[in-house]
Amino acid sequence: MRARLLVLSLALLTTGCISVPHAPARGRTLNYTPRAATPPEGVDIASDERPGAFDPSPYSIAGSWPRQRFVRHGGARIDATKAASGAVGGGAQTGASPRQAVLDAIDEVKGTLDGVEGTFTKLAAHRPRALGEQSLNDDGLFSRFVEHGSAQVTWLRGGLGSATGLTEVASEVGDPDMELGVLRMTGPKLQATMFGTLLLATWVDFLQFSAAIIKHCFVCSDEKLFVDLHRVQRLMEPTLKDLESLDPERVEAAATAMPELMGKLTQEFAALQAQTRESMRVGEKVLTAAQVLEMVSMISTLKMSLPRLPPAAPVTLGMSLAMGSGGVMMGSRIVVSAEWVEMMRRLVQAGVISLPAVNAAVRIHGGQVMMAQAYQDLPQGVRDALGDSPEVRGMHVTGKAGAGMSEAPKHHVLPKEHREWFEQRGFKGDMDIDQFCVRLEKSQHEAIHGGGNWRLGRTWPGEWNRMLMKALSDAEVEAGRRLTRNAVLDIVADRMKDYRIPMNFVTGRRR
Amino acid sequence: MSDGAAWQGNIKARLYERVRERGYDSLTAFADARPAVPLFVLADELGNDVAAVQVLSGLLYEAERSRRVTRFVRDLLVRLLSQSLPDGWPAVMDDANVFKVAKALGSWSAYTPETHQERGRLAREALRANPPPAGWRPLGPDDELLRVLLPDEEA
Repeated sequence: MRARLLVLSLALLTTGCISVPHAPARGRTLNYTPRAATPPEGVDIASDERPGAFDPSPYSIAGSWPRQRFVRHGGARIDATKAASGAVGGGAQTGASPRQAVLDAIDEVKGTLDGVEGTFTKLAAHRPRALGEQSLNDDGLFSRFVEHGSAQVTWLRGGLGSATGLTEVASEVGDPDMELGVLRMTGPKLQATMFGTLLLATWVDFLQFSAAIIKHCFVCSDEKLFVDLHRVQRLMEPTLKDLESLDPERVEAAATAMPELMGKLTQEFAALQAQTRESMRVGEKVLTAAQVLEMVSMISTLKMSLPRLPPAAPVTLGMSLAMGSGGVMMGSRIVVSAEWVEMMRRLVQAGVISLPAVNAAVRIHGGQVMMAQAYQDLPQGVRDALGDSPEVRGMHVTGKAGAGMSEAPKHHVLPKEHREWFEQRGFKGDMDIDQFCVRLEKSQHEAIHGGGNWRLGRTWPGEWNRMLMKALSDAEVEAGRRLTRNAVLDIVADRMKDYRIPMNFVTGRRR
Repeated sequence: MSDGAAWQGNIKARLYERVRERGYDSLTAFADARPAVPLFVLADELGNDVAAVQVLSGLLYEAERSRRVTRFVRDLLVRLLSQSLPDGWPAVMDDANVFKVAKALGSWSAYTPETHQERGRLAREALRANPPPAGWRPLGPDDELLRVLLPDEEA
C-alpha cells in the first residue's frame, strides 16, 4: 500500500501535478500541516501554474488532503517515530473514534477558513492602486464586497468554535451513547461551516479576479464589473443565510442544493472571464488577456468546474468520478483524498453528517456542477467508499435524510417546565435543553408520557418527566450537592436507554 | 434499529411471548434466573424491541399479584447498584463514587412504585446514615443487609 502510494506520489511529482515548493522542509514533524502556512501571494502575483493543471489547493476543504497525504507518506522515512503523535488525521491509531473524525473535520475547515480570511485581509489592505483614480464613482464599492466576505468569517468561526466546544463536552460525558449523541449535535454546525467555507472561497476567487481586472484591464468597465459582483453576491446570499442559521433542516437543504449553486457561480465566472478576454482583445496592447487571467491563482473549487482555456466544453462534461486508491478520482486527478473520504465515512456512520451533504461536497470538489444533475447520486464506487447503505442513510435523522422518522414531532428530553433547573446545572447556550430534543412517533411519545396501555404494574406510572426529575433530584439529595451537567447527562443517558429512546438529538424550539 | 420498535404493536403480548420462548412462565422467573443483572440487559435479552421499563412494569405487575412488591423493590435496587457499582460499594467516597451511588439510589427512587415511596425514602436515609461496608455487593433481593433495610411486610 505504502509502496504504491510512493510510486503514485513520485509520478505526480514528476508530472508536475503536485506543486513541490509547498512541501515542508525535510525533517519537519509530521503533524505539521502546511495548509495555512502559505496564503496566496496577494492579488496580482502571476501564477506559474497552467490553468487546468491539478493544484491541490491549500484552501479547498478536500483539496488539502492529497497534499497532506503525500507529505505524510513522503516524510515517513525521515521521521517515522513522530507520525503516531500526529494531532491531525493521525491515521488508524487515533482516527478510529467518531470524535477524532469530528476534530479532524473541524481542523480541516479551520485551515481552509484561515486561508480565506488571510486573502480577505490582503484584499482589504492591498486595494487595487488604480481603483481610486480610475473610477470616481466607485465609492468604496469594492471594499464593501470584501467586507461582505469578511463578515461571513465571523459566523463561520463562531460555528466552528461551538462545534469544538461540543466535542469537548462529548469527551467528558462518561456514557458512550451520550457521547455520540452530543457529538451528533456538532453535525449542523460542521456541515454549515464546511459549505459556508466552500462558498466563501469561491467569493474570494471572484474578488481576486475582479481586483486583477480593475488593476490591469483599463478598457473594462468597473461599473459593469460591480453589477456582476452584486449579482453573484445575491446568488450566494440565500444559501449563506441558510447556512448561517445553523438550523439543521435549512443547513441540510442548502448543502444538498449547493452543487446547483456552484454551477451557476461557475457560469458567472466563466462569463466574467470571457467578457474580460473580449474587452482586452479589442482594446488592450500592453498585456495579453491570457496573462491577466492567469495571474489569479484560484483557491476555490471553481477551478475544477471552469472550462479550460481556450473556451471549450466544461471540463467535467461526460467525465465521471471514480474511486481510486488515492481517493476520488476524475480521470487521473485526485478530487478528494482517500483520507478525506474515510473521515467523511466515519462522520456519516456516526450520524454526524448526512450522506446527501457529503455527496454534494464530493460533487462540488469534483466540479460536477455544470450539468442538470443537482440531486444526482455519485457513482457506486464512490458511494461504497463513503459507506453508503440503507442503515447509514437512516442514521442521520435530521432533515429529509432520516428513515421515516424525519417528520415525527420533536420532544424535549429534559422537561422544559424545568428549564431553569437545568440552566442552573450548566444547560445553557449550545447545551441548553432545546438542543436535547428527540423525534418520537405519536404512539411512543404518548406511551412515555403516561399514555398507551403498555403498563402492567398499577402502582408505577412511569411517566418520563416525573420519573426523570425524581431520579435527578433524589440523586442530588443522595450526593448532598448539585449535580454537574455531565452527571445529569449520565443519569439521563441511562434512563433513555431504559425507555429505548434513541440518542439522536435535534434542536427543538423554545416556546 | 430500535427506533420506536419497542413502542409499537402489542407490547404486553410481545413481552410474555419472549419470556415463554425462553422457557419461563413468568417474567419474575426469567429475572430470578438472572440475579443482579441490570434491567436493560434483561430487556436486551428479550429483544431490541423490548424496553427495560416494560420489563420493570411487568415484574411489578407480577409482584403486585403475588403480594411481593417489597421483594420487587429490593430486587430493583440490586439491579441498579450492579449497573452503577459493578465492583460493589466503594471504599473511598470521592466525587466519582459519590455520583455513582447517587445515580443508583436516585434512579431507584424514580423506579419505586408509589406504595413504597415512603419506605424507600427511609431506607435511603438509613443508608446515608450508616453506609454499608466497602465492597458490599448484594447478589439478589434476599441479601441480608437489604432485608434489614427493607423487610417484607406482606405475606
